[in-house]
Amino acid sequence: MISRRAFEAATATLTGAFGAAVAISSLSNGIGWSSAGVDAGTFPFITGLIILCGSVCNLLRGVLAEHERMLDWSKLKRLGALFIPAAIYVGAIPLAGMYVASAGYVFGTFAVQSRVSLARSLLAGAITAAALYLVFERMFEVSLPRGLLGEAAGF
Amino acid sequence: MENLEALLHGFAIAASFYHIALMLVGVLLGILVGVLPGLGAPNGVSLLLPLTFGMQPVSAIILLSSMYWGALFGGSVTSILFNIPGEPSSVATTFDGYPMARDGRPTTALATAFGSAAFGALVGVVLITLLASWVAKVALAFGPPEYFAVYFLAFASFVGMGGSPAIKTVVSLAIGFAIAAIGIDTVSGSVRLTMGIDELVKGVSFVVAVMGLFGIGELMIAVEDELHVKAISSKVQWGEVLRTILHLPRHGWALVRSAAIGCWMGITPGGPTAASFMSYGIAKRFSARGRYFGSGEPEGIIAPETADHAAGTSALLPMLSLGIPGSATAAVMMGGLMIWGLNPGPMLFIEQKEFVWGLIASMYLGNIVAVVLVLLTVPMFAALMRVPFFIIAPMILIVCVVGAYSVSNSYLDVVLMMGFGVLGYLFKKLNYPLAPLVLAIVIGDKAEDAFRQAMLMSQGSLGIFFSNTLVATLVIAAIVLLLLPLALGLIGVHRRLAPIDE
Repeated sequence: MISRRAFEAATATLTGAFGAAVAISSLSNGIGWSSAGVDAGTFPFITGLIILCGSVCNLLRGVLAEHERMLDWSKLKRLGALFIPAAIYVGAIPLAGMYVASAGYVFGTFAVQSRVSLARSLLAGAITAAALYLVFERMFEVSLPRGLLGEAAGF
Repeated sequence: MENLEALLHGFAIAASFYHIALMLVGVLLGILVGVLPGLGAPNGVSLLLPLTFGMQPVSAIILLSSMYWGALFGGSVTSILFNIPGEPSSVATTFDGYPMARDGRPTTALATAFGSAAFGALVGVVLITLLASWVAKVALAFGPPEYFAVYFLAFASFVGMGGSPAIKTVVSLAIGFAIAAIGIDTVSGSVRLTMGIDELVKGVSFVVAVMGLFGIGELMIAVEDELHVKAISSKVQWGEVLRTILHLPRHGWALVRSAAIGCWMGITPGGPTAASFMSYGIAKRFSARGRYFGSGEPEGIIAPETADHAAGTSALLPMLSLGIPGSATAAVMMGGLMIWGLNPGPMLFIEQKEFVWGLIASMYLGNIVAVVLVLLTVPMFAALMRVPFFIIAPMILIVCVVGAYSVSNSYLDVVLMMGFGVLGYLFKKLNYPLAPLVLAIVIGDKAEDAFRQAMLMSQGSLGIFFSNTLVATLVIAAIVLLLLPLALGLIGVHRRLAPIDE
């Protein structure tokens, strides 16, 4: 069970950290006025500060917000059921390449999560890989990564 | 009027079988490209460019611009049916288009969108016809201070008129600006905000951000509740399409206003994306049913669609007459023009009359072709909505992943997109507005460049922003809007408007 307060605080902290990072990073580009005009780092620096201040305000407001239940266990489970396989899929791409990873992702979600028969899941995976190949590789000539395995196999 | 005479001559050129065939091909390809996120109009137009070298310039530009219309329409289709904007300019269409479709009225949503789009495009083309000759004079008055003022106004209108808490809006805007700044700075050439990751030198692509924020983010929100995509009747009821189109004039005021905004943003050039957002924001503020925006209001679709198509068409005007492309696609087209040996600028209208008016005439025809084709293919897309969620979700995810990768062949973009997805989820849950974030990513760079160039012109004095009536009006309007939430808060008026992009 995650409360609204926790959400607000977490988000505000994230944005605040980003803002701070932006401001600090832009210092190295120089702020202020130079012979070439406004220095490259000025805008990002000001932007970073705005993000930081805004985040602090949001953090304070969030902490003082009403205690409201935002995410309960069942929702969290469903969220995980979507995000975790997706993360595994994205993580597998450098290794297996986009075609194999996509086919595997489809196969995995169908067979394991949605209890579709193995045969149908395999078919779905194969169709996915084929469709991707046809549309992207052939029609639009966008070359998708083969991954380490793919390159080893000479694909 | 001499313009009309030239236009009629242009029709004679544009209406040949060959050209109409080109329009059909272009529009179909455009719809396909518009529907696939990651493959946008600029990609499609770039890919077609080599094919055009053997053609006459008129034919070539007809093909490319038809693809442009097709992509604009196609982008709206996925915005409405899947909440994935296929084009940057169709992001605002998701705000009310997707809820309407989700509620079981996809045909109405699509018909509303296309009808408004056609109207907007028509107004844009008529405008070009009338103004083509003397537009150069007006646009020449726009220098960097004026450009910056327009952008500033667009941002301020979000803070002032959006329904989300002002501070969250400002944070959202600022984050967008920061993301836009990542990479090489156009004014000085130095590298910014890459934080040690070399691959970030190319910057963060808008497409990647949008796919993550809206595609993945929405997927995450949708999956929370057990109830997924509702079963929707498959057939496109043509009666419904006709009925919707005939009812459009009811919203005449919204249509005209949005078209005006679109034309203004197209010419000046803010671009179709900025036009759609601005139009949505203003419509929400002034429409009778503004309170209900975000839940499937017709005017919530009419406003952005009319504006973005009006802007898309009128953006070609500064491109042709001044060499200032109003959008990425216009920029690619301009490249094409130069390769074909034509020089955009005031001389183009004098030296290449046939080309210009052939193009303008083809814009009328091309839009008609696009509307017809897209309506015919709607049943295909509406039927897609009946597919169960456990199939749709992985499909959407894969399309987003592959799309993100294909933007610049970068795996980092895929990872970034997932990060944006999480951000989109958090922001949506907590009432942080996404629209200003997206807008800032798109035009943040342009706005900053305009500001810095203005500063160069004035040698550091902010007074340049008040140096003439035009720029002063814009800036003062923007400041008023920015301070509006503060003022209203002090007076104690409680704003209960729904957030602008929910």
